[in-house]
Amino acid sequence: MSKITSIADVRRHFRNNQEPIYFISATNFNLLGIGDWVSNFRHINYIDCFEGQQRNVFVPKEKFPRDFEGIEDINNYLLEHKEVIDFLQSRSTGDKAGTAAFLMFDEHTEEICKQLGLKIAFPPATLRQRMDNKIETVRIGNKAGVPSVPNVLAKVGSYQELCEVSKELGSDLVVQTAFGDSGHTTFFIANEEDYYKHAEEIEAEPEVKIMKRINCRGSAIEACATRCGTVVGPLMTELVGFKTLTPYKGGWCGNEMFSGAFTEEVRDKARDYTFQFGEALREEGYRGYFELDFLIDMDTDDVYLGELNPRVTGASSLTNVAAFAHSDIPLFLFHLLEFSDLDFDLDIDDINERWAHPESVDSWSQLVIKHTDESVDLLTQAPKTGVWRMSDDGSINYDHYSYHPHAAENEQEAFFMRISGAGDFRYEGADLGILITRGRLMDDDFNLNERAKAWIEAIRGEYAGQALQDPVVEGVAVSHAIGGGNFKIL
Amino acid sequence: MSAGRAPGIELDKALTFRTVHEEQAGPKWQSLFDYHWPAYEPWYLSEGERERPSYLECFNALRHYMPELLDTYRTLCALNGGGDLASRLLSLYRPPPYITGCSQAVLARPSSTVLARNYDYPPELCEGTILYTRWNQRRVIAMSDCLWGVLDGMNDSGLAVSLAFGGRKVVGDGFGAPIILRYILEFCDTVPEAAAVLERVPTHMAYNITVTDASGRYVTAMIAPDRRANIRRVAVATNHQKKIEWYAHALASETLIRERQLSILVDDDATTNERLISAFSAPPLFRHDYQRGLGTVYTSVYYPKEGLVEFRWPGRVLDLSFDKFREEQIIVRYGSRGLYS
Repeated sequence: MSKITSIADVRRHFRNNQEPIYFISATNFNLLGIGDWVSNFRHINYIDCFEGQQRNVFVPKEKFPRDFEGIEDINNYLLEHKEVIDFLQSRSTGDKAGTAAFLMFDEHTEEICKQLGLKIAFPPATLRQRMDNKIETVRIGNKAGVPSVPNVLAKVGSYQELCEVSKELGSDLVVQTAFGDSGHTTFFIANEEDYYKHAEEIEAEPEVKIMKRINCRGSAIEACATRCGTVVGPLMTELVGFKTLTPYKGGWCGNEMFSGAFTEEVRDKARDYTFQFGEALREEGYRGYFELDFLIDMDTDDVYLGELNPRVTGASSLTNVAAFAHSDIPLFLFHLLEFSDLDFDLDIDDINERWAHPESVDSWSQLVIKHTDESVDLLTQAPKTGVWRMSDDGSINYDHYSYHPHAAENEQEAFFMRISGAGDFRYEGADLGILITRGRLMDDDFNLNERAKAWIEAIRGEYAGQALQDPVVEGVAVSHAIGGGNFKIL
Repeated sequence: MSAGRAPGIELDKALTFRTVHEEQAGPKWQSLFDYHWPAYEPWYLSEGERERPSYLECFNALRHYMPELLDTYRTLCALNGGGDLASRLLSLYRPPPYITGCSQAVLARPSSTVLARNYDYPPELCEGTILYTRWNQRRVIAMSDCLWGVLDGMNDSGLAVSLAFGGRKVVGDGFGAPIILRYILEFCDTVPEAAAVLERVPTHMAYNITVTDASGRYVTAMIAPDRRANIRRVAVATNHQKKIEWYAHALASETLIRERQLSILVDDDATTNERLISAFSAPPLFRHDYQRGLGTVYTSVYYPKEGLVEFRWPGRVLDLSFDKFREEQIIVRYGSRGLYS
């Protein structure tokens, strides 16, 4: 194909795409609906959220309960599985099996993909690992002119040392280690007692990030660094730590996208920073999809860099469904384009300007619903994936099957993607499912609104479980279900 | 089993031996797979599924060490439905560890060569399938294990092989010996060729493999995951490698006594084929220790020059050759004596 110079060219290219493209992950949640834009796109997943109804989702039939250590581990398991290998080979041309995208992968994944003839549409795992380091993120940000919350990077050996190096930050501190997600490795320290709760983890690190604690709101923005420049998506709010959704304090439990969540000034600043950061990433050798968390100071409206996720994320499901994605192309297609062999020259400024327009951002929200009780049971009933409709009395009914969030047409409807199903164990922290709907789920004070609470309650009501009688069985069940440690599968 | 005996002391186990002739793997092999799989699956999962290597690792190991076997492997995987777990088991790459007994000896005389062996093992864990195949343009008659692996067998070039557990606890990275024996029978003609395979292909446990061929050559290879194969012109093997390492097993299996008996026999110029073979049907070579899973399940005898094979039980001999191979079933009961019925 000759050089790609317009969005129409991109669309046509992916509609006519022949080479298989795969998203390999625990579920297909992050890239819901991308198959509508890309021919020969398939999801290879461990969990079948669609009970076999979704043609472009491949889940191996023969599976065993395993203690997975992370998403990389699930992906490696999938790629070494005979049914997956047979599936890939049945769709290969010669020794070329196509292109694979992941949420997470490691060097072992890279080795397997090489053998299977799969190209990975991401920079190498070692580079991603380096970019994922929170300390490194601060440095890149500083270089790119994207400020972090006032901070000090230092090795800490005692509370006295912590106080000494962070004198200028005051006594109310937030300490973060280089790696970790969803609030698991962020510690709030206002006194010596707080410090000793986390001293072991802090002192084990060669360097930690020590920040001044500010009164902030979390936000997320996704972007894609391409050779023509960085394409920037909309600024989203983050739902964090709601007890009705997650048992983890500070744990991510959803996003909201609507144009008025922050002032225009804040939105513009975040977008500019994201663009600058994307350009800095390119200089580091990183390219493609990434996400930035910004901390927005509610007192000053300052916008600070939070963290970088050099990958697609749990927020990608929203970024890729909004109006701007459909008026042009979903952000993920820029990523595929960047990793294709195509020659392209697109006017990124033009796209960014269009996407910055409030009318480009229609309002969407998603909730990640986890099991929040300490109880463990075996699920006997679970709500099906598809569109659900809520009546005036707050009860919900299954309306019809769909795989796409867009199928929810109004605020009375929601798209639900079931993750835990009948036969799965329900334990504290287990992902039950994800609800995506039009409109807002939080109020202006960033609390869940009544509609959100009604949906959460109604969805939970669709689950039924059977208690486990034998404590030994329960122990085994829990260790299988939870595995080596809780990790996000999204 | 006579009435009045304390239960658990006298055993009454029965095993059906089947001769199966199917030149290209097809419905007969598939039905053997279907019949045995319910027993193999829990065994393969006994240490947890995660302990077993992935399909890709299994495939890579086969491709690296026994690439000529891949076509057959693929055919068999397809016949079993192409499942992940069954395909991993069939590779026999790092299966769960298991132990056996066994005695084996080669008697090489200018006029004839014979390889005879006793297979000492729990009868309920023996498949009892004597398989006649022609998978790689080579005819093979073998006692099957793990669905296509070989406990002992011979090909139409006259190469005969037999395995005995090596009496050591070490477990490592490699293949179950039955598939190595299958590989040898499918792709080797002579003892030197077989020796090269035994030197090269890693085993996951200690085994003593005895090989002989139509020109009267023989070797015993002591293979193990932790040291280089020791391959020597030794005609006799039981269940130890050089020194005794696992005393309990050595005592229970009487490996030294059996080795000595066999060595005396093969070193004696007066020993005839008949004398050697009959020794296998009496103690100390024939063992009644079914209680502990170390009783003799069958005796097999290979005549490489003549292309003849015998499977023997007290009172019953099954004569087979590449030209004369009738499909039949023999039920053997294991009481205090291995009795044919």
